[in-house]
Amino acid sequence: MNSDFILPDTVSPIALPANEVNSNSQVRFKSEEGRLMLILPAEAAPPSTSSWSDIWQQLKQRLNGGDRFWQPNTTVDLIASDRLLDGRQLQAIADALAEVQLLLKRVSTSRRQTAVAAATAGYSVEQTYVAPNQTLTSSSVPLAEPLYLQMTVRSGIEIRHSGTVIVLGDLNPGGIVVANGDILIWGRLRGVAHAGADGNSKCLIMALHMEPTQLRIADYVARAPTTQLTQVYPEIAHVTPEGIRISIAADFSKSQFLSQP
Amino acid sequence: MTRIIVTTSGKGGVGKTTTTANLGMALARLGRKVALVDADFGLRNLDLLLGLENRIVYTALEVLAGECRLEQALVKDKREPGLVLLPAAQNRNKEAVSPDQIQELVSALTDLYDYIVIDCPAGIEMGFKNAIAGAKEALIVTTPEIAAVRDADRVVGLLEAQGIKNIHLIVNRLRPTMVQVNDMMSVQDVQEILAIPLIGVVPEDERVIVSTNRGEPLVLAESPSLAGKAFDNIARRLEGQTVEFIDLYPTPDNFLSRLRKLLSSII
Ligand SMILES: Nc1ncnc2c1ncn2[C@@H]1O[C@H](COP(=O)(O)OP(=O)(O)OP(=O)(O)O)[C@@H](O)[C@H]1O
Ligand SMILES: [Mg+2]
Repeated sequence: MNSDFILPDTVSPIALPANEVNSNSQVRFKSEEGRLMLILPAEAAPPSTSSWSDIWQQLKQRLNGGDRFWQPNTTVDLIASDRLLDGRQLQAIADALAEVQLLLKRVSTSRRQTAVAAATAGYSVEQTYVAPNQTLTSSSVPLAEPLYLQMTVRSGIEIRHSGTVIVLGDLNPGGIVVANGDILIWGRLRGVAHAGADGNSKCLIMALHMEPTQLRIADYVARAPTTQLTQVYPEIAHVTPEGIRISIAADFSKSQFLSQP
Repeated sequence: MTRIIVTTSGKGGVGKTTTTANLGMALARLGRKVALVDADFGLRNLDLLLGLENRIVYTALEVLAGECRLEQALVKDKREPGLVLLPAAQNRNKEAVSPDQIQELVSALTDLYDYIVIDCPAGIEMGFKNAIAGAKEALIVTTPEIAAVRDADRVVGLLEAQGIKNIHLIVNRLRPTMVQVNDMMSVQDVQEILAIPLIGVVPEDERVIVSTNRGEPLVLAESPSLAGKAFDNIARRLEGQTVEFIDLYPTPDNFLSRLRKLLSSII
């Protein structure tokens, strides 16, 4: 069942700002075969806008929200790829990890200077080599694994990820989440959410409390209704031939299953 | 242990300086040693609100340049001996100092005072970065307006990224009658977005303006005002006391509400 809470913009699809989400555009943690990796976005890969202060801010956010997930005294491998890090920055990362009882042990980097700084600071270093042509077209990049965030996405914070993004918390007005996959806000969605940012209009935006400033799925755009909602249900935004529609979550899954042959 | 608190907001003119002056005075009246640091270089007015502008000889800048000792720059309040002000320079801009330098000043004051309260300038640029450099806690001041709350939200995010996690909310200039007819955000609306603990609600009060012009923080006034009481309550909550929030809403005059009023006036 579709409800008419949100009307699609009359001109659709409209030109959106370039929204390629690089697969590495966020600082993230990943655990694989018992080792915990802290992965920094590559410097060379576009958009290479993430400066040290962005990296630093993202790292703090991840650490603030993630401490339920790891045991104290777990060792961490820092995957710095082609990012230039000096001794002071490595120390800052190690200190931030230490605050949540994680131990920086190993640094993997393709930059000689970073390797030297890491070795000087006493970490074990793994030097990697980057293939000269790293830029892949987005269509050939498979979705990254979901990014799970426990935080309030506050005004001015922008989360970009090439997979699905799950936020345990609110997406506030002025905050933005852009994902190549789905977006699930386990909280109030009041900011801007863009799912399927690389063109997949089958992607969904889900929220416990849907009061968005704007929703985008692939090239479709929808604004929030101006009327205040009186009742609140978990809802799902999806693309229909008429544009973006919002359905009550409980009904949505039913209708989806029924429509399957 | 010294509590190092920055008063900040993002948006300008929402009441940071008013809050800093009143809290400083209220804490000093509770017997605490308090140093107020004006980090609004170029647009200082904490000295005015405290009525101390004519006693400034040196400022933080001279201390940093080694032209005077820190004690020489501290302006002592005559009314409350526990209160001092470290003035900002008025003839310089916010780029004249660095975060490291503010941190240096704050460390020099640490241990000598129970509270160091830093008055932050509006914005999120250099002046903001300077003001939060040495802080361990923050008071977010906002008015119940969408733009102010949005900016406050941004600032909370920046503080969290800086590792300042002890953050409390002050909603200033609340007009209960406007809230009641849905013309103003309620405290609850503000809290719902900012998701940080509330430490005080200060009503809109003309006497704030009068006290500003006189250089006499409201908490000093002989006849009590609601805003003055609200600031005093915030100081007590900072001290760890449990203080009930003032009931700002004019409720229908029934027995219960009268009783509540009576009780809150006793507290
Ligand atoms: N509760 C209140 N009731 C009435 N007026 C108030 C109240 N709080 C503050 N004001 C007034 O609002 C104005 C701005 O206050 P103040 O200077 O404290 O804000 P600020 O956040 O420090 O501003 P800036 O960003 O410029 O430093 C002043 O004129 C002050 O008197
Ligand atoms: Mg001010």
